[in-house]
Amino acid sequence: MTTTGISLDLAQELRAICGDNRVRERPTGGMYVSPSSAGEVAAVLALANRHGLSLSPAGGSTERNAAEVHVDILLHTNRLANIEHYDHGDLTVGVGSGMTISELSAMLAPDRLMFAGDPPCPERCTIGGLLATASHGPLRHGYGSVRDYCIGIRFVTGDGRRAKGGGRVVKNVAGYDLMKLLIGSYGTLAVITSASFKLFPAPRQTRTFLAEFSTANEAMRFRDRVMHSPLSPMCMELVSPAARKLLRPETNNDAWLICVRASGSDAVLNRYRKELGSAATREIEGDSERRIWTAIENFGYTDPDDSSSLIYLSAWPREVNDVIDTLLATSALAGVDTSLIGRVGVGLLLARVTDRKRTASEGTCALVHALRGKYAERLAVKVRGATNPWPLTPANIASMKAVKHALDPNNVLRGRQIA
Amino acid sequence: MPLSTIHEQLRRIAGSDAVLDRPEDLMLYEYDAGVRKRTPVAVVFPLNTEHVAQIMKLASFAGFPIVARGAGTGLSGGAIAPEGGVVVAFARMTRILEVDAENMRAVVQPGVVNQQLSDNVAHLGLYFAPDPSSQKACTIGGNVAENSGGPHTLAYGVTVNHVTGLTVVMPSGEVVHFGGKSIESNGYDLTGFLVGSEGTIGIVTEITVRLLRRPERVATLLGIFETVDDGAKTVSAITAAGITPAALEMLDGWTLRAVEAACHAGYPLDAGAVLLIELEGLAEQVEEQAEAVREVCFQQHAREVRRAKNENERMLLWKGRKNAFAALGRLAPSYYSQDGVVPRTKIPAVLQFIESVAEKHGLRIGNIFHAGDGNLHPLILFDPRDPHQLELVQAAGAEILERCVAMGGSITGEHGVGLEKRDLMPLLFTDDDLDVMLSLHTVFNPNNLLNPGKLFPTTRMCRETLGRSIHPVLQAEGM
Repeated sequence: MTTTGISLDLAQELRAICGDNRVRERPTGGMYVSPSSAGEVAAVLALANRHGLSLSPAGGSTERNAAEVHVDILLHTNRLANIEHYDHGDLTVGVGSGMTISELSAMLAPDRLMFAGDPPCPERCTIGGLLATASHGPLRHGYGSVRDYCIGIRFVTGDGRRAKGGGRVVKNVAGYDLMKLLIGSYGTLAVITSASFKLFPAPRQTRTFLAEFSTANEAMRFRDRVMHSPLSPMCMELVSPAARKLLRPETNNDAWLICVRASGSDAVLNRYRKELGSAATREIEGDSERRIWTAIENFGYTDPDDSSSLIYLSAWPREVNDVIDTLLATSALAGVDTSLIGRVGVGLLLARVTDRKRTASEGTCALVHALRGKYAERLAVKVRGATNPWPLTPANIASMKAVKHALDPNNVLRGRQIA
Repeated sequence: MPLSTIHEQLRRIAGSDAVLDRPEDLMLYEYDAGVRKRTPVAVVFPLNTEHVAQIMKLASFAGFPIVARGAGTGLSGGAIAPEGGVVVAFARMTRILEVDAENMRAVVQPGVVNQQLSDNVAHLGLYFAPDPSSQKACTIGGNVAENSGGPHTLAYGVTVNHVTGLTVVMPSGEVVHFGGKSIESNGYDLTGFLVGSEGTIGIVTEITVRLLRRPERVATLLGIFETVDDGAKTVSAITAAGITPAALEMLDGWTLRAVEAACHAGYPLDAGAVLLIELEGLAEQVEEQAEAVREVCFQQHAREVRRAKNENERMLLWKGRKNAFAALGRLAPSYYSQDGVVPRTKIPAVLQFIESVAEKHGLRIGNIFHAGDGNLHPLILFDPRDPHQLELVQAAGAEILERCVAMGGSITGEHGVGLEKRDLMPLLFTDDDLDVMLSLHTVFNPNNLLNPGKLFPTTRMCRETLGRSIHPVLQAEGM
């Protein structure tokens, strides 16, 4: 079924749908198209179904290198960047999937509103990519995941049906929750064309409190203290000593770091100072605060020429410390360097694996193997950019296949594998 | 399979005392808190997942439809038995299987009552956030099926935001596990998809939920307004001020007088409307927000803003809100509650529209609702003994929902579609939208034995799925 040479007729058919200059051949084979409407997306998918072609959507290609995606049609969402609705009084917005996170944030800033998705590389990462990969940044701690604030989604299924789930209002239980199904499905079920979101008031002032610890275990005890306190920070991030060197190469500090970001009035920030006590040794604001959070946000991005690989983990909160120990011990045995950051309050970790001798993927395999053996179904693991994003076979694989069959019966969307 | 054999088989599975089949017993299971009725052919009370799996296999073999039922407090007819259907009631699956305070999770059976879970973990400083008004009776299984909300969903989200794992018996009788205790899972988010699928995809037998830590401070304010319009405008003004209360409820003057007569909550009898506003969190933050909310209320012409001085006063204010539906029962033999949603800036306009609908049809409509997220609950009073009145009331309800959709809203914010609103689904969804949902329904529930007749418009189901609803054995043999 897969592709090899695309016929001239097919290129012409694609041009007839999307316009002459919106279709071109890819150097690695296959075609590249950038449709400008959901209708065009549906027509391209119908064409792919008719001719038995494979297709993959692509946004800003921050999660994987699009050049390495071997499909007949790479569908770029960059021209699906319209504003469907912006109701600032209602704190809702709906935009095309090709809009970048930075563009959306810039649009909201004058109204002092905030979009809570802060994935790596926001200037390139698109709304569609954020949804498809369910990626997250430090705001995940205080604002929940995109699953929690996406209120509506429009898409074209693998078999070419234009459809939607949800709507534009913040509370809505009409029909099946198709947002949940598509978020984190890596473009294997449908091409997302637009989505609506709940927005949040932008904080008026923030401060970041830094606390250092000689071991991860001590850092986790501090996390527990914060979690048991009445504080509800915007962000709480763990940074391993190796990750600190990546974030700030000039640093020469071997301590584990926890960064707590708080927003509120002077009185509220004073309360943070009191509760965090002497454990928080530094407090930063302004440019230095922005710099550290941008660096943490972008930890989950690697350049195509960087040989590191990235593993996203979701652990039981109380097992985070144990998972860290397992990762570091296995890394030492496998001879790889692993640096870690994480939204540890909710049990999320990012491990960046670098192997100077071998390819990073071998090191990643060793880590995944060790995690599988020890945690089985207690851990969720995603490998950034991998063809199969879930190296631990999901327990519900039969149900996943049923869903795949319902929405993409001809398996057109095969830029990724689900098992 | 003859009915008597079905009864016998159900007894074999769940126990001789765990099946009801006498007409006088079945009558008690023919309704929920909505307005529709149908008598089931049997009610079975499973004790565990295995029982449910066996019941499902029997249903599949014998070709009878089944519907899961929690406490029957649903308002959309979701738990009403289909024709010839068996009710699987969860009154015996009421155990809290695990409280894991360190991970802030609990694992419960579907029959656990919502309030009981919060009560059970209160000594740990934890609670379960979704709080439907029926929380003293409704079950967590029912909350999962309908993706229930409640006043505090404004800040904390509906049920789906608080469920991380499910054990589900699929229509094939197979037991599957979705998600778990970790916040993310491997593969598609089928947990999120199952929540709110109204019992049409599988029957949930174990639920892993998130528990939240109780806030340090809670401030409950009562904003008293001369007119409904002033109260409604205050809702968007609070949002515009950058404040997200934990709850923001509105009662119109007529409703609050009815509620006050029944509950003595301390609501002012001569007000045009009141807003019940709850703020939660860090003490410093709550005090600042309480002051800011008070200012906003006065800017919007509030006559008075009261604050509950202690937990007793707070509980009293909430008692009025949570018992409001019941209180209206004093005024008419029955009521029909709607659940439409509008963008919150449209609340003043939609309330005016509801008033005009009431006038046009000569009906009495009270409004008591989750104003903060634009989730309306117009309560239309009527006498069910008069069939003409029920028709009129349903027509008025549909008119209101049509207007909600036209304003960019939805037909249901937390009650679910069920039987009641299935034929209004085309207001929101195109043929293709419904077709995609139906194709998901069909891969999991191919013989339409699980809660048939719910959620999807009757016309579509007749055309596309009911046609396939034949005996699976016959189907396998190509008959």
